[in-house]
Amino acid sequence: MTTSSPPVAEVIASSTREIVAEVYAEAEVPAFGSWVEVETDDGTVLYGLVSHAETGSVEPGRQAVALGADYDRDRIRREMPQILELVRTTVRAQVLAYWDKQTRDGGRPRVRQTLPPRPAALHDRVRPCGPDAVAALAAPFDVLRTLARHPDPAVPADDLLAAALRNLHAAHGGGPDGEAVLVEAGRALARLLDDDHERLQSILRRVR
Amino acid sequence: MRPSEPAHPLLRPWYSEASPADPVLDFARLAGQIADFAAYRVEEDRAHAGRLDRALAALDDCAPEWETLRDRAEQLSGGPLRALPRTRPDGCHTCAPRPATVTVVATDGSQIFPDRHVDPACYLLNVGRVAIHYGTLDPPLIRAEPTLRYRQQDLADLAEDDAEASPLDVTSEVVSALRDELELRWLFDTADEERRSGREVVAMADGTLIRWMLRGMKNRRLEAQLISRYVAELDRFREAGIPVCSYVSRPANAEVVNLLRLHRNEPDWDPAPDSLRGLQDRHVFASRLGAGERSAVFLSRSEVLKQYGDHRIVAFYVHGCAEVGRVEMPEWVAEVPGWLDLVHAVVLDQCEKGGGYPIILQEAHERAVVRAREKDVFYRILARQARGAGAGAATYSGKAASKRAPRV
Repeated sequence: MTTSSPPVAEVIASSTREIVAEVYAEAEVPAFGSWVEVETDDGTVLYGLVSHAETGSVEPGRQAVALGADYDRDRIRREMPQILELVRTTVRAQVLAYWDKQTRDGGRPRVRQTLPPRPAALHDRVRPCGPDAVAALAAPFDVLRTLARHPDPAVPADDLLAAALRNLHAAHGGGPDGEAVLVEAGRALARLLDDDHERLQSILRRVR
Repeated sequence: MRPSEPAHPLLRPWYSEASPADPVLDFARLAGQIADFAAYRVEEDRAHAGRLDRALAALDDCAPEWETLRDRAEQLSGGPLRALPRTRPDGCHTCAPRPATVTVVATDGSQIFPDRHVDPACYLLNVGRVAIHYGTLDPPLIRAEPTLRYRQQDLADLAEDDAEASPLDVTSEVVSALRDELELRWLFDTADEERRSGREVVAMADGTLIRWMLRGMKNRRLEAQLISRYVAELDRFREAGIPVCSYVSRPANAEVVNLLRLHRNEPDWDPAPDSLRGLQDRHVFASRLGAGERSAVFLSRSEVLKQYGDHRIVAFYVHGCAEVGRVEMPEWVAEVPGWLDLVHAVVLDQCEKGGGYPIILQEAHERAVVRAREKDVFYRILARQARGAGAGAATYSGKAASKRAPRV
């Protein structure tokens, strides 16, 4: 599992169930439904699925006010640059799996698709997962079970499932391999949803 | 006690709790007084309108021979402070548009005053500093500079060899003065660091540059020392050629009104019923200046300026989008060709962006302000560090300790 990609965010609130991370000003915001990883002090790597992103004022007491139609993006940069300093984007990720950085199966890291023993620390750095890591979060799809059965109440669960499946498809190359893993995931999901075909169809429609 | 008979708040035992149904403020009894106040306001408004009419008439009347009036005011000593106009006092001036690119810097300060219950006395000065490079993509500087001060020596240095003075206390007055000084020092440093070649820079302070509040300090030597250090900061601006100004929101000055009173030959201290007394300069200029216009430049004659050396402070009034504000600067700034217009244009643009008050000062204030919660955290960290360093638990008085950790 390579952690070579540069960090894009930093943990500002943490539990074993989820992390909230502030995205660095210059970094690209991790996409909804994409996987991120956090390497903690003891070496454990936590995997989280981005379930929410928001942009707002750094200070809770200060609210943004409309500047008027003549302020386009460029004019804001030149004439009101202080505003951009006061804005931050945070993402919330549901922690769904971890790797203790030691256990391996035939050389490949053995990622446990369950909640980690300890939360990430504040200010731990958050990186987007590479395709290898995302692929390791596929079968046996226990992460889907957690997502479907214990969804974050503030997030439309089916949209998150659809986005997660879409990323899984992409991480497997998008071609026939991607299709295969998607079919496998679809089966797992069908069982999880107690054969609620209506709901499953609706999720799969959103994947395509 | 029956509910229909609420006890007077003063008669109620101090430990009884006010319930929502038992308001502390007795509005029924206040109603009559509020009605009286409303009537008083109507009366005051009428009197104010009369004063304003007379002031505007006096302004028109004195303008053609304003130099005579200025000379007369200059020769008089005593009486209320009178502004000395540098040009026709009824002049209204527009300015050229703000330069497309300009660097504006500002600072604002706040403090945690010494707590009487904490020994040794310490205080925190926090200066917010902001630099914005308008019209460019250069990143703005937005930062706070906290300074913790506690050494008795710092104060002793301020008023050395003053044997007969009482031992110096770190009063809130002294802390405020030191904060003002630090604000101006950071303002210069920020302007100096952030100025770019080929681009104008304007340094803007909050409030007045006239340190009149230092007058009347008990320790005269300390007062003189504080003023001379403040003036030394102004020297740095002049040496570096950086225009420095300050913006006073809702200014309470009446120096121009006092000049008009002189023109009307009003007695100084025993005003007749038709006196202009009570009127402020901003009232006069609010009636005269069009949106975006500035008044003539007036020289302030505040007593404290005698200790400012050649940094005589001048001011103009400007009609921004929400109010008539006062912009002060040392006289040498107003004398550099183009700078008066530059300051005027920058202030207008700032007020427009900030919805009536310079946006950069708002930002500097936001960086500087120490909120109650942060103050609590500050004292908590202070106590923890002191315990860690073996400073003993006696850092707090008993009363303060009881407030910080109430027993159940």
